[in-house]
Amino acid sequence: MARPVFRRSGAAESAAPRIAHLDLDRPLVEAALRDPARFEALYRRYVAQVYSFAFYELGNHHAAEDATARTFMSALANLPRFDERARPEDGEGASTFKVWLFQIARNGIANERRSARRHPETVLEEPIAAMIADPLNVEEDAVRRDEASLAWRAVGRLPGDRRRALVLRFVNELSTAEIAGVMGRSEGAIRVLLHRGLRAVARDLGAGSAESPEPRRRA
Amino acid sequence: MTLLGRDVIEVEALVTDRYLDALLMEADPVGPDSMGTGPSPRRRPWFMTALGLGADQVARVQLDSGVRLASERLTRDLPRFHPSFRFEERLAVRLAEAAASMHLPLAAGGESGARLVTLPVPTSALAGDQPASDEHPAREPSPRNPAPRPMLVSGAVAASALSLAGAAWVAWRRARVHGSPMARAARAAHSMRDRSTPAMRGRPA
Repeated sequence: MARPVFRRSGAAESAAPRIAHLDLDRPLVEAALRDPARFEALYRRYVAQVYSFAFYELGNHHAAEDATARTFMSALANLPRFDERARPEDGEGASTFKVWLFQIARNGIANERRSARRHPETVLEEPIAAMIADPLNVEEDAVRRDEASLAWRAVGRLPGDRRRALVLRFVNELSTAEIAGVMGRSEGAIRVLLHRGLRAVARDLGAGSAESPEPRRRA
Repeated sequence: MTLLGRDVIEVEALVTDRYLDALLMEADPVGPDSMGTGPSPRRRPWFMTALGLGADQVARVQLDSGVRLASERLTRDLPRFHPSFRFEERLAVRLAEAAASMHLPLAAGGESGARLVTLPVPTSALAGDQPASDEHPAREPSPRNPAPRPMLVSGAVAASALSLAGAAWVAWRRARVHGSPMARAARAAHSMRDRSTPAMRGRPA
């Protein structure tokens, strides 16, 4: 799927910031506004991304499914109120369907997490166990699992905002501008979060290869 | 952190961000380039302006090797998850049901799912005229007497028990009104008034 949604136009250094928006979802959104049954195309496009984001945030398969379902039900119900702010004059406040959807997901996940805090029996799953093993290449698959497990744990140990920014950047492949829209922060703040998160992950991966796995504490 | 320290971290963050753009673009060949839009030139952040830094100076800032390795590891190793197909299909059904329930309010005037249906009713019947005959030929559509408007029938209208047959029955009833004894008497009186002389019409009753 085409990833970056924002494009800056005009002279890079001299002109005022202008964001010319290329919202690839616009035709699908318009179709869904005319006929809600057409929302399915948007759902199919984003269900895995929203689920992935929820799973990284909640660490639990069932909670992630619940959050995903609530996100899409809410998006469908509120679609007529979706206001695409993607004109050049919208500047950094620009928003697209994707950003809007992830904002809904983020709010839903925050509610889910508050609920999980009240019910501490929630079990954090080991996500790598959920990866589908390749029966034809067991050895390579084991190495891949180990590496994925290390990366998962390193990201899981980060404080909430840094982890969220890294997951949105590397897993959901959102641009910095989009992450800023989802998290309600400036682009500069997101860049610093990403940079600091990566430095922490680098330290963790460099030092923690022999480290025993430990359960994550979420922010 | 000092102001200078903050500036430094922001410049490093910008360099990291540019590197990530390039790295993820490489990982995802179906990027904006394939759409002919090209990579995004970035505006100069305020701190670069404040420090008198240009794009070339930012380019000279070396990317931290640890950050580079961590970025590559995360790009390669961070797993993506997909919900179970059972869940995906179940949620799709729930969404379809919710979407169908959203269709209903549109019956009040929306056009969603609606079709234009021209009923097989004579023009004259809908126009409130007599059936066409040699004596009273059907009128051609004109601005004063337009052709019958097609009826908008959507799923929700059908759900409220107004069927095509029902609509045809209403049209037939409207046509029949003019064939009733009362209507015939009214038309006869009207034609008699038309035939009367202007002098008679001017005389008080």
